[in-house]
Amino acid sequence: MKQLVEHIARALVDYPDQVDVQQVEGERSVILEIRVAPDDMGKVIGKRGRIAKAIRTVVGAAALKDNKRVMVEIIQ
Amino acid sequence: MKAMEVTGRTVEEAVNKAVDQLGIKKSNAQIEVLCEPNQGLFGIIGSKDARVLVTKRYEAEEYLQKFIEKMLFLMELGGEVEVTSSEENYYVRINDSSSGILIGRRGRTLNEMQYLVNSILRRQFPGIRKRVIMDVGNYRQRRERTLNRLALKAAERVLATRRQVFLEPMTPQDRRIIHLALKEHGEVYTYSKGEEPRRQIVIGLR
Repeated sequence: MKQLVEHIARALVDYPDQVDVQQVEGERSVILEIRVAPDDMGKVIGKRGRIAKAIRTVVGAAALKDNKRVMVEIIQ
Repeated sequence: MKAMEVTGRTVEEAVNKAVDQLGIKKSNAQIEVLCEPNQGLFGIIGSKDARVLVTKRYEAEEYLQKFIEKMLFLMELGGEVEVTSSEENYYVRINDSSSGILIGRRGRTLNEMQYLVNSILRRQFPGIRKRVIMDVGNYRQRRERTLNRLALKAAERVLATRRQVFLEPMTPQDRRIIHLALKEHGEVYTYSKGEEPRRQIVIGLR
């Protein structure tokens, strides 16, 4: 899951080397925290959060078969 | 265009000019310095510009193919990816026999994935204006058939009840299919109301 988020985030930003994703496992949920270069924040969020929403949908779909809730957070 | 030779006061300036004109990102540029710049005496006599040859490493189709294949692999989903293109669009077909996971309820996952891939293409190839249209299995065609049937049924209901019928909110693409389906209908007309993403079609009596 972590690698999936990294793959997507790196394709969106200007500084792919500065993309860092942490996976925090819970019992029934997973939190994926994305950190990017300050200049790249807007690029993973998108206008009115549309890109962030699309990332959440795609990652959520991938998590369906694991029966886990996935939360994707973009962290400043 | 796959490659170009460009000059500039510095190597960096020349490279920036070239990637701009090729409409690509620096990460997709293979750079060969043909001539180092030379300041010359007092920056006047015998000064020489930098000259570089910049070659595009991969084209958009290749990029899309590789990006989506890897994405599916990381999602642990099977499926073959096929990318074709026309004047206006790239078409990405995922041949996925296993599941509706990539489609989602009423195509939501597919549409969001398409939005994401379009954003990524524009980041990686700033010069490209074409849109990416994605399909999984034959979903788009099946959806069109379903929407055509829905449109005709709703029109019948309008005629039977002599009242307007409101359809549920849909994407612009889906609404377009409904409008087209009833365009030639003699007795009803269609229009959209509300704001995205809750914009919906209303069918009324002519």
